Amino acid sequence: MAEATDPIIEVRRLEKDFGRTRALDGLDLSVSAGEVHGFLGPNGAGKSTTLRILLGLIRPTAGTASVFGMDPWEDPVHCHRDLAYVPGDVSLWPNLSGGEVIDLLTGLRGGADETQRSRLIDEFEFDPRRKTRTYSKGNRQKVALIAAFARPARLYVLDEPSAGLDPIMENVFRREVRRVHAEGATVLLSSHILGEVEQLCDRVTIIRAGRVVESGTLADLRHLKLTHFRVDGVRADLLAALPGVQGIHDDDGGALEFEVEAPYLPAVLEAVAAARPSGLSVSPPSLESLFLRHYAEPTAATGTLRRHPDVNQTGRD
Amino acid sequence: MPGLLRLAVAQVRRDRILLPIWILGIALLGFATASAVSSEFSEEGDRRAIMAVAAVNPSLLFLRGLPDGSGIGPVVFFQGYAFTALLAGLMSTFLVVRHTRTDEELGRAELIGSTPLPRSTPLGATLLVGCAANLILAGCVAVGFAAAGLPGDGSLTAGAAVGAVGLFFVPVAALMAQVMPSGRSANGAAAALVGAAYLLRGIGDAVGTPNLELTRVTSGWISVLSPIGWGQRSRPFTAPDLVPLVVVVAAAVVLTVAVLLIRGRRDLGASLLPERAGRARSGTGGQSLVGLAWNLQRPTLIGWCVGAAVMGGIAGGLGPVVTDAVEGNNSLAELIGRLVPGVEAQIVDVFTAALIGIAGVLAAAAGIQCVLRMRAEEAEGRAELLLAVPRSRTSWLTANLALALASAVVVAAVAGSAAALGLWLTGMTGTPGTELLAASLAHVPAAAVFVAAPALAFATVPRWSVPVGWGLLAAGLILGQFGELLGLPEWLQAVSPFHHSPAMPVEAFDPMPALSMTLIALAGVGIAAYLIQRRDLTT
Repeated sequence: MAEATDPIIEVRRLEKDFGRTRALDGLDLSVSAGEVHGFLGPNGAGKSTTLRILLGLIRPTAGTASVFGMDPWEDPVHCHRDLAYVPGDVSLWPNLSGGEVIDLLTGLRGGADETQRSRLIDEFEFDPRRKTRTYSKGNRQKVALIAAFARPARLYVLDEPSAGLDPIMENVFRREVRRVHAEGATVLLSSHILGEVEQLCDRVTIIRAGRVVESGTLADLRHLKLTHFRVDGVRADLLAALPGVQGIHDDDGGALEFEVEAPYLPAVLEAVAAARPSGLSVSPPSLESLFLRHYAEPTAATGTLRRHPDVNQTGRD
Repeated sequence: MPGLLRLAVAQVRRDRILLPIWILGIALLGFATASAVSSEFSEEGDRRAIMAVAAVNPSLLFLRGLPDGSGIGPVVFFQGYAFTALLAGLMSTFLVVRHTRTDEELGRAELIGSTPLPRSTPLGATLLVGCAANLILAGCVAVGFAAAGLPGDGSLTAGAAVGAVGLFFVPVAALMAQVMPSGRSANGAAAALVGAAYLLRGIGDAVGTPNLELTRVTSGWISVLSPIGWGQRSRPFTAPDLVPLVVVVAAAVVLTVAVLLIRGRRDLGASLLPERAGRARSGTGGQSLVGLAWNLQRPTLIGWCVGAAVMGGIAGGLGPVVTDAVEGNNSLAELIGRLVPGVEAQIVDVFTAALIGIAGVLAAAAGIQCVLRMRAEEAEGRAELLLAVPRSRTSWLTANLALALASAVVVAAVAGSAAALGLWLTGMTGTPGTELLAASLAHVPAAAVFVAAPALAFATVPRWSVPVGWGLLAAGLILGQFGELLGLPEWLQAVSPFHHSPAMPVEAFDPMPALSMTLIALAGVGIAAYLIQRRDLTT
């Protein structure tokens, strides 16, 4: 889906300092029209800060951000005309009912699509009459989600939108993202739920300590990942010297374990076959291990795009 | 027991800045009043004169308290006690609600509730902190009075009389925290009760009967309903009597037991006044920024209007009683005429002007609260939702400021109308009702300045907007109430916008200060509307 359309969101060399803390440190991000873009990173990486800059709520210290080709800080009103936002921590007016808040937020954007509104309230099994003071975290989240999806937008900015939702409601949410995606909308989705990212996103950007550490389609990212081998009845020295084999070691049961970089797979497979193993298991690259690798990297080592990992840190699937 | 203490220590730690400010501020006010009285009225004759004027002037009795002899101590107690006790009550209110209902509303109480402690322990810890705070307050006030040269035993009793009132409102606020569903409403209800205590004491004192020498006033029965009235009866510098204070403390103990019992039987998050279901759809105007501001502010505004109506009603309705009290006593009227020429004719007007002045303060407070709601919206994360829609920050600010100014006008108008109505009901023919309405509205320009100040702070230094808003009002109030007494220089008194509001109907309306204050306020609002676009949203 990475066709060369005009970017809806374009961020270059973005920096943001809060006092002496650097939240963003030269972040780049590009989201094309019509794509669902996953935005990932460990806690405190700068995801919410980026989204707030994209909304014009805070001003970047340096660098540029544009949304629909406009500067969100200078012209927030125009930027927000076709935008729906779900904040990471939904805080509501305690003495208004959920229904009133939905009407307020959609009304300020120009009014809800009534059929969508009632359909969403049904599907999210939401009681709009209760005061928001009495809502659980999941219910507060539903208010923001219903308000976001009850009116068509060209861009949806969603900050950990499914936090607090039960699995059934999570499915309703995913269905909504697919619906607006099918209708041609662009979605920027910050999330920690890897299944969600895997199901919904065309491309992902992973950030750490305010910088991008990885960006591309999920297929691209998988190629970078090491495939995990577990081989029985083969001596280590037969395989250890092969190019592309990393982190070779004996496991507790006497089998040999190692990781292989994608380009070297054919050669390693031949060598393994030639060594006549008594047992063999090969696990595909999992997204989780990819994320864990990036999330767990020491801070000092960030910044280089597509670094090869230190294999000793990654062998856990 | 260690759990209780641990919680109490944690609460004290949270309040480590706020509580000392309250306690030292109140004690300092007492000290300043005492020093001012001893230097300004060092002559016995002066004190006798001022007390005689006060004894027959219901507005002074209402605002200050009961004259009780012409020594320095009694004059200090008369000038400062009721107001100090009011502050002590408010200190207790905010302290208790902050640690009880607000914590519960924001979900913090749930974490504490999961620990192996009885359900009422967190409340018990708060009551303990409140009790300790008021004991320390009593001590500090006593030290302040003594440091200003007042006798030791009298100072101790006076400190205890302030502390006892504060102590009384600790369980009262805790009770409101059980009754009301939110921190805001609990604060409002408990603060209203503190205000009612001041008011009942004021009415009782205003209708009280002076003795023939005009050195002492015995208050009406109605002040028995007020803990501040009881505190006054301890007569610290004349005939110290701890029995009234014991009564107040005993009442506090009974309330404490009741509150702990209620908390022990109540669900977490539940309130005696239950939360009603809301509407499924927004009403008219519920989809605009002005509509939202109105929806959020309406209950609070109603509260301010009730307060203003009570003030105005007393001003209008009590006037005749006041006149009768003075006119029915020929020798008294003669004495006033001798002491302060010309005062007699205006006595009703002075009373009215003083009460309407308080309504002006309420108008300013209503406006300030409306402005500060924006800061709460921002700090609690709701502004983020609001500002992600195609509306500018300026339109958000303007909507709220417009409502703030409208609130000030409405509160002032309600006070004036209530005064006029009270006057009409009692069949007085003196001041025409329309003039009372004008007298109230004359306070609006000053209130507008108080609205503009926190708006400017909000647009530039948002984290400071709450202290700026309430701090300036408190400063204005103290300058207005105590500036002259403390002998503060004229320019400093002139800093307070209240200083420039005409005390109608005693003074004539002067368009110049009103016009310049309106312009200052509008300029401040305009600058705030521009600057609000130039800063980051901060939590």
